[in-house]
Amino acid sequence: MSPLRRPITPEAGPSGGCGGAACGCHADLETPAPARGWQSLDDWQRLSEGGPAPVRRPEFPAIIREGPVSRRTALKLMAAASALATAACSPRPQNEIVPYVNMPERVVPGTDLLFATALTLGGYAQPILGQTWEGRPTKVEPNPDHPFGGGGSDPFRQASVLTLYDPDRSRSLLHDGDIASWNSFIRVVSQKVATFESNDGEGLRILTGALTSPSLIDQIGALLRKYPRARWHQWESLGETNAAAGAALAFGRSLRAVPHFDKALRIVSLDADFLGPGPHQVAFASGFSEGRRARRDSRELTRLHVAEPTLTITGANADHRLALRRADIASLARALAQEFGAPAATTAIVPSARDWARDWARRAAADLRDAPGRALVVVGEGQPAEVHALAHWINGRIGAFGGPVTFIEQNAPTGAPIAGLAADMKAGHVDTLLMLDCNPAYDAPAELDFANALRNIPFSVHYGIYVDETAAHSHWHVPGLHPFETWTDARTLDGTATIAQPLITPLYDGKSGFEILGALFGGYGNIANADRLAVQAHWRSFGPPEAIASQGAFDLWWRKALRDGFVAGSAFPTITPPEPRFPPTAPAMPAAAGRVELCFLPDPSVYDGRFSNNAWLQELPKPVSKQVWGNAALISKADAQRLGVGDGDIVRLSRGSVFLDAQAMIAPGQAEGSIGLHLGYGRSNAGEIGSRIGANASLLRTSDALWSAADIAVKKTGAKQPLLTTQSHHSMEGRDIVRSHTLEDFQELARATPEHEREAPATLYPDDPLHPKRPDGSTKPDYAWAMVIDESTCIGCNACVIACQAENNVPVVGPEEIERGREMHWLRVDAYYDGAPDNPDVMFQPVPCMHCEKAPCEPVCPVEASVHDHEGLNVQVYNRCIGTRFCQANCPYKVRRFNFFGYGNGQEYANLGEPMLEAVHNPDVTVRARGVMEKCTYCVQRISRARRTAEKEGREVAEGEVVTACQSACPTQAIQFGDMARHDSAVSSLKREPHGYDLLAELGTRPRTSYLGRVRSSGPALGPGDTREAG
Amino acid sequence: MATTKLHLTERETAARFLPREMTYDEVTRDVSEQILTKRVGRVWWIFFAISILGTGLMLASIAWLFIEGIGIWGINTSNIWGFAIANYVWWIGIGNAGTLISSMLLLTRQKWRSSINRFAEAMTLFAASIAGLFPILHLGRPYYFFWLVPYPSTMDLWPQWRSPLVWDLFAIASYLIFSILFWYTGVIPDLATMRDRARTTTGRVLYGAFALGWTGSARDWARYEKYYKAMAALGVPLVCSVHSVVGLDFAAGLAPGWQETIFPPYFVVGAMFSGFAMVVTLAIAIRWGFGLRHLITDNHLDLMGKILLMGSLIMGISYATEWFMSWYGGSDADRSVVSFEFTGPYAPWYWLMLFGNVLAPQLLWFRTARINTAILIFVAIMINVGMWLERILIVAVTPSHDQLPSQWRLYSPTIWDWSLFIGTLGFFLFMFLCFVRLVPVVSMHEVKQLAHERRSA
Repeated sequence: MSPLRRPITPEAGPSGGCGGAACGCHADLETPAPARGWQSLDDWQRLSEGGPAPVRRPEFPAIIREGPVSRRTALKLMAAASALATAACSPRPQNEIVPYVNMPERVVPGTDLLFATALTLGGYAQPILGQTWEGRPTKVEPNPDHPFGGGGSDPFRQASVLTLYDPDRSRSLLHDGDIASWNSFIRVVSQKVATFESNDGEGLRILTGALTSPSLIDQIGALLRKYPRARWHQWESLGETNAAAGAALAFGRSLRAVPHFDKALRIVSLDADFLGPGPHQVAFASGFSEGRRARRDSRELTRLHVAEPTLTITGANADHRLALRRADIASLARALAQEFGAPAATTAIVPSARDWARDWARRAAADLRDAPGRALVVVGEGQPAEVHALAHWINGRIGAFGGPVTFIEQNAPTGAPIAGLAADMKAGHVDTLLMLDCNPAYDAPAELDFANALRNIPFSVHYGIYVDETAAHSHWHVPGLHPFETWTDARTLDGTATIAQPLITPLYDGKSGFEILGALFGGYGNIANADRLAVQAHWRSFGPPEAIASQGAFDLWWRKALRDGFVAGSAFPTITPPEPRFPPTAPAMPAAAGRVELCFLPDPSVYDGRFSNNAWLQELPKPVSKQVWGNAALISKADAQRLGVGDGDIVRLSRGSVFLDAQAMIAPGQAEGSIGLHLGYGRSNAGEIGSRIGANASLLRTSDALWSAADIAVKKTGAKQPLLTTQSHHSMEGRDIVRSHTLEDFQELARATPEHEREAPATLYPDDPLHPKRPDGSTKPDYAWAMVIDESTCIGCNACVIACQAENNVPVVGPEEIERGREMHWLRVDAYYDGAPDNPDVMFQPVPCMHCEKAPCEPVCPVEASVHDHEGLNVQVYNRCIGTRFCQANCPYKVRRFNFFGYGNGQEYANLGEPMLEAVHNPDVTVRARGVMEKCTYCVQRISRARRTAEKEGREVAEGEVVTACQSACPTQAIQFGDMARHDSAVSSLKREPHGYDLLAELGTRPRTSYLGRVRSSGPALGPGDTREAG
Repeated sequence: MATTKLHLTERETAARFLPREMTYDEVTRDVSEQILTKRVGRVWWIFFAISILGTGLMLASIAWLFIEGIGIWGINTSNIWGFAIANYVWWIGIGNAGTLISSMLLLTRQKWRSSINRFAEAMTLFAASIAGLFPILHLGRPYYFFWLVPYPSTMDLWPQWRSPLVWDLFAIASYLIFSILFWYTGVIPDLATMRDRARTTTGRVLYGAFALGWTGSARDWARYEKYYKAMAALGVPLVCSVHSVVGLDFAAGLAPGWQETIFPPYFVVGAMFSGFAMVVTLAIAIRWGFGLRHLITDNHLDLMGKILLMGSLIMGISYATEWFMSWYGGSDADRSVVSFEFTGPYAPWYWLMLFGNVLAPQLLWFRTARINTAILIFVAIMINVGMWLERILIVAVTPSHDQLPSQWRLYSPTIWDWSLFIGTLGFFLFMFLCFVRLVPVVSMHEVKQLAHERRSA
């Protein structure tokens, strides 16, 4: 008898389950006449004829025959049992096995649990809720309670669960490439500690990325106090040093500007991709979208001016965009400042763009003046400190301080720059180097030659979750922990701290950063829960008053902080900045003859390379170009013609003696004389997914040209490779696909369109009265699920795409399959260009399944695998699908996806078929087989869960109770989902908006997914550089 | 042309299509001795070896397809059908002509058919069988193809009757069954002849078994004639239905360039056209290979050439109608598809298709061209290529240029697309070469009827 036996319910009666007499269940079940049991029909016959009760035969006669357990049998059974016990490995800790006889509190099989925690990006906290199933994290949801960037998500957060289960993650401690034990590592460390204790830490260096973790900074501080001659260095490939230097230049103090885009009606961005990838993307995007949401009674909309070299998603969302070389933007900033009374400056802008730039600056200035106290200038990290300071100066002039931009004191300790470390390494001053969660051998400035410098270090330790380039060049590598496996803390930009809690015990033999640092204190690092103790110790001492009052108060506070996912009131106080100084002129960077500028860009898919081995992100189409599995030298049409370069041609970018071969892509909106290249590719040790993809931009990136290099020679090599994109045609061909309105037109439309329910279009085929829609014949109206997507607020960030992939177990197909045109994303974001190719208007349109009421896919399926349910969902029955693909042939929206191979089931790309990755699957969603069609289901599993809950509680599903994965991930709430049958639901009221429309409505498909046309508030067009007409 | 009269007398017909006075014995000997006594030549063996290779290629392609899945083909998310469906449509088109020749010409008393109907029907049979393979092979999960059949499943599930693919299943299945029965019925009297003349026991037993005890009695003949004519009457609508339904596979949809009412008749004519071109190719080959110039005469070629010419004119009108209607219909998507055909990346193929299907057959206005085997076979092969390209383009153009430009993507076949297609050509050749060695390629009893008419008139 198994100890797991549960009481058997009457429904499970004799017919269910138990088969033979030897099964003990019978003892509980059978009514008093055990003798009347029968095993075969013969027995039954004999019994019913009044014959003698049959002899009960044992189920396992062989065992019974041995009589009382013999020695031999006992040994055999013991061997089998121990073999089984060894075989049954699981990530569950051995000392805390919880038998389900006593159900662990809240852990209900088949039900998910959400835990508030945080990931980090660039050191900043990324607040999330982690969804787990019986202790297994599968999905990331936003934490809407978090005051800064909680109300949405981004692709990096959504993809983090895949990294957790990545089979390429480092699993064991390595010494010169061989597996070694933690004890052998500690032995070496303790020898070092003994030396450092005597020489004050001479030769000890620690290198980290950007950090906001109070506990970790605290611990590093303590270490530096213990070893006064030790040094801490920091290197963040996409750090914020220019912004910090700019603030120091303007205010003479370490201040950090916190923009509040929700409070800005007029925004001027000088090369700032604030909607693009980065640690503050969600917060900025959700704030920005507040002013862009056009509704019937909208009076004004946020207007955005952007000057930038490469078309980013911020530029794509601009109302007035200027394509300008990165080096020229300083001059543009001068021209803008001049409008506010700054002294005239000579301009270094290339003559061809000079007039447009002047017009753009004039109009931007007019708009800034137009909304005093509600206007904001932001500057990108790619600009030098002087431009940042200039923006502060202008912001001061237009009254932005305290409104659209506030300031906080930046007084957390930071490490020294990496350049000094590299110099010391070369000079042989470094004995021990500990690199925590960073990859300088790949992304440090090229002239430092960090990988080679590492050879001079007697004792180099790399700590991280991958055996990456740096690990390959270090003596020791210690496997790190994924944020879901460890305790830590981090702050968002505004200072709000989150205590990040683990969702799962470490999958491999990883250590926390606290343990590594602990070893340097002379500890042995094997303390259980070192990470939690360190974080708790910090907050117990330095937390808010209610935390440090008493241990009891701390425990209460701790639980609340964990549950909320942030420490209430921990945001830094905003301060009133001093009057900004007018900065000195930045040295102009004239373009050398025959040279072009190369701009280094954060990648929207792999960021700085840290996500290279995440297949979801590699296969995520970049928002504007839709390129996947690689990067490309983005080149303007004029430059491409001059160089005779076409899409996919391999070009050689040389800087001095260093060169880099990259695929060229003619990028609309790219500034002439400037080439854009995304960072994070060309990695050699990323793993099976991410190695050897694209060109490594960091080879040309040096400390004096961290963001752009002006002296690049471009040459065509003659080689060519197809560009991998998921969309090759970006023109709407004059069709009514994305509707655009100016604010004035929209207001006119709102006046002309009275608010009423949208009528069903006329049809010759009314619903069959003989077949009522509801199967039980009741009159209660069904739910009518519907979705509305707002094209005004969609910024094209792709969070929804990855959220859908994570939620619905959407497989990865790999670059070869992408080249054949077989991507599997259920939800895609189409990007259409309009206007001149040198500065196009970009329109984003997320396209999930339309769930047509008259779905063209349904009547053509010969086996009824594509059918309609009574709540209006167009559902796909995978079991029934035989793969004729007629449904996709007949789908005008082409939203169906076919498993040409067993992408998720037997024929996976690279290592994605590793058993470990099955853990990332949502248990509520089937993994589809080869030869089966699939598509967006409106997250039917979430609908079903809400319906079950509601039915159990005897009520209707409430408005807002069903949130689809894409909707929940959207940082701008551009996607709304709900019950269209309710007049008061959000989708119903959105469908009544004057700019609501159905895609390809003329086909009579009556889609349930509808769109709100794009409404933009743009001023009159000025000059030839601007293609946005007022309309 | 000058000799053409609208109504020829039976004797005139006989004289034109049986140029010299032949005794019954001569006819029988000419045809049956090819199989019974003559040894095959080197040419046959060369072609047979090629056909074996092709069959092997087909089997290997199918095996790899089953192992790896349909991802081995060049299809993609927009172009989801590709070669498989195009080849299916093309093969079923080839398979149309034999039945059309047999039944339509029989019913309209076109006696000249007797020299060519036997192998034309065999061609139909083989082509339709191959065509029937493709809808199964193209499935993502081919092992469930029987779910299209309305069998009493335990789940009470039936096929979805609104889907043209279900109509397709019935159309092909009925057509295939009909073609087998019709062909077999026609061959029974000749099998009896073969039985009587066979020199080996095996031959006597096999031919005898398949001859079903045919005695040649008047009663046999009376029943034969009634049954055969009745079958022929059934055949004509079936020929039309099978390819109309294939047309509906596209026309019943919603896609620009497919949703056209002209598709069913246009597909039927196209099928007849390509099938006749294939008959011409085979007729010329058989006539040359077996030295049957006196049975398959220049006048036969002349007539078939005229039919090809008529077919090409109808095809030309159909194309023009498509272009006109997409302009006249005013739908932007439809117009865009037409301009894509003429100017897009597939344009060279589209022009080649127009050349093969419309332009090249215009040579056949002249009798000298019609009876010149070189010209005729060139035109026939051009038509087969053109019609194949037409099928490919129908399947590939629309999905490459559908409603949403973001989803426009091109189709290009892989080596496995080609290998399966070439393999089926080899398999067709294999079956045909076996057929000519086992069954009389010309209907002896019908030619003898013609000989009788010539003499008695």
